[in-house]
Amino acid sequence: MRRKRLDSVKSKVSDMFDLPKDITLNLPRISMTGNNQMLIENHKGVIEYTPERIRINSTIGVIRLQGTEMNLRNIAADDIMVTGGIKSIEFI
Amino acid sequence: MIFMRIWNYLTGYLVIRVDGLSLEKFINLAVTNGIYLWGINRQSYTSLTACIGISGFRKLHSINRKLHCRIRILEKRGFPFTAYRYRHRKLLIAGMLIFLAILYGFSAFIWSVEVEGNEQVSKETLINELLELGVRPGAFKGRINTLQIENRLVIDIPQLSWANLEIRGSRAILRVAEGVKPPPIINKDIPANIVATKDGIIDKMIVLDGLAKVKVGDTVKKGQLLISGIIEHPETIGLRYVRAMGQVIARTWYEGRDSLRFDDTYRKRTGNTAEIKYFGLGDFRFPYKKDEVPFVEYDMEVTTKGLIRTEVYHEVELIPWKDDINSAKAILARSAEAKAKADMPPGAKIVDKKLKYDIIEGESITAVLYIEVLEDIGMQQDIDVQ
Repeated sequence: MRRKRLDSVKSKVSDMFDLPKDITLNLPRISMTGNNQMLIENHKGVIEYTPERIRINSTIGVIRLQGTEMNLRNIAADDIMVTGGIKSIEFI
Repeated sequence: MIFMRIWNYLTGYLVIRVDGLSLEKFINLAVTNGIYLWGINRQSYTSLTACIGISGFRKLHSINRKLHCRIRILEKRGFPFTAYRYRHRKLLIAGMLIFLAILYGFSAFIWSVEVEGNEQVSKETLINELLELGVRPGAFKGRINTLQIENRLVIDIPQLSWANLEIRGSRAILRVAEGVKPPPIINKDIPANIVATKDGIIDKMIVLDGLAKVKVGDTVKKGQLLISGIIEHPETIGLRYVRAMGQVIARTWYEGRDSLRFDDTYRKRTGNTAEIKYFGLGDFRFPYKKDEVPFVEYDMEVTTKGLIRTEVYHEVELIPWKDDINSAKAILARSAEAKAKADMPPGAKIVDKKLKYDIIEGESITAVLYIEVLEDIGMQQDIDVQ
C-alpha cells in the first residue's frame, strides 16, 4: 500500500518536472524496430529463453515475447537486444 | 555497432557452446558478473552457442562452479589468435616491421610540391624558388624551416604579399597571395603635357587638368601633343603651368603575320599511341608497363606524377602543308593573333578583327591579321619650364 502511494507521488513529480519516467520510476524501456529487433533496457534477468519464447524479468513484472527463430543479439548488465520474428509481447 | 565489431576483433573473442540444464541461469549469472555476451543462439533445450570476450571467458569458470554446465570452445576469432598462429613465422613479422619502418621513413620526406593562389606569378617561378630554398620532392622534412622559407619567398618575389608553406604529410603546399603595388606618387608641382604614345584616331577624351589640343575624330601621330600643361589665358597675359591629366582613348591598329612554306611538313598525329610506364625516382626507374613502339616518326609526351612516370608515344605522319591547307590556315591564324596581341597593352579593348590569307601558288601561305582596339594612348611628359 505504501509502495503504491510512493509510486503515484513519484509519477506526479516526474510529470510536473517533465522527467523521464523510466529513470524516476525505475521502469524498463522497450524500443522496437519493426517486428524483428527489440531492445529492453533496465531488465532484471532472463527467465526463459527458447527460439519460440523469451521471458524477461523486469520491475513491472515478466515480459513475455513469442515469435520464431528469436535469439539474443547481445546481453549486458542492463540491456538485452532480441532479434528474430517477434509475434507478440505480453506483460504478465 | 561497427565500432563494437572492430573492438571485438582487435581484443579477440571466442565462440562457445554451453550444455546444461539451466541455461537461463547461466546467462543471468554471467550478466550479473559483468560478462558481456552476444550472438546467443539456442541450439536445443540443453545447449546454446554464444560469443564471449577473452577476459569474460576467464571469469566464466568461477560462475560455472555452481551450475555444472559444459562449456566448449567452438572457435577462436580475432586478432590475438591470428597473431598467435603466425608467431613462428619470423620473416613475416620481420617483413611487417620493415614495412612499417619504410612507411615511417618515407613519410619523413616530401613527395610532392603544390602551389595555390598564384595569378600573375607563374607556378614554375614559385617551384624554382622553392627548389632553391630546399623544398623539392625527395627533400627531408626535418630540414625545412617553413617560417624562414615563407619570409624568403615574400622578399625574393616582390609580387607576393603573403606566403604560407604547409607540410601536410608528404605534401608541401604553398599558398600565396599577390599584392597590388601602390601606384607611383604623382608630384603635382612639376608641369607636364600629355603626348601620344602611338598613332591613332581619337575616340574619346576626358581632360581632368590642362588644355585639350586635339578633339575627338582627329588623327594623331606618335609624340603629338594631346593635352597641354601650359594654359594661356586670353584675358590676362600670364601663363599658367599645370600638370596635365586625362585619358585619351584612341583607335589603334595592331598587325600580326605569319607564314608557312608549302613544301614544309608538319607532324599530324594518326591517333595510334603506345605507352611506357615507369615506377621509381630520379635515375632509378623501372618500367612496369611496356608497349612496343613500332612507329617510325613519333612525338613523346612525358608526365610524372609522384613515383609514376608515363611516356606516351604518339605516331605522327609528316604531311606537307600544301596537302592540308585548312590546318595550315588554322595554325597561322592562331600564331598571327598571338603575335598581334604580344604588342597590345593589357587594358586594350578589341573592337574589330580582320584576317586575310595571301597564297603564293606553289610556294607559301601568309596570314595577316589586323586588330582594331581602343586604348589609352596618353602619356605624361614633364615640361622643362626654363
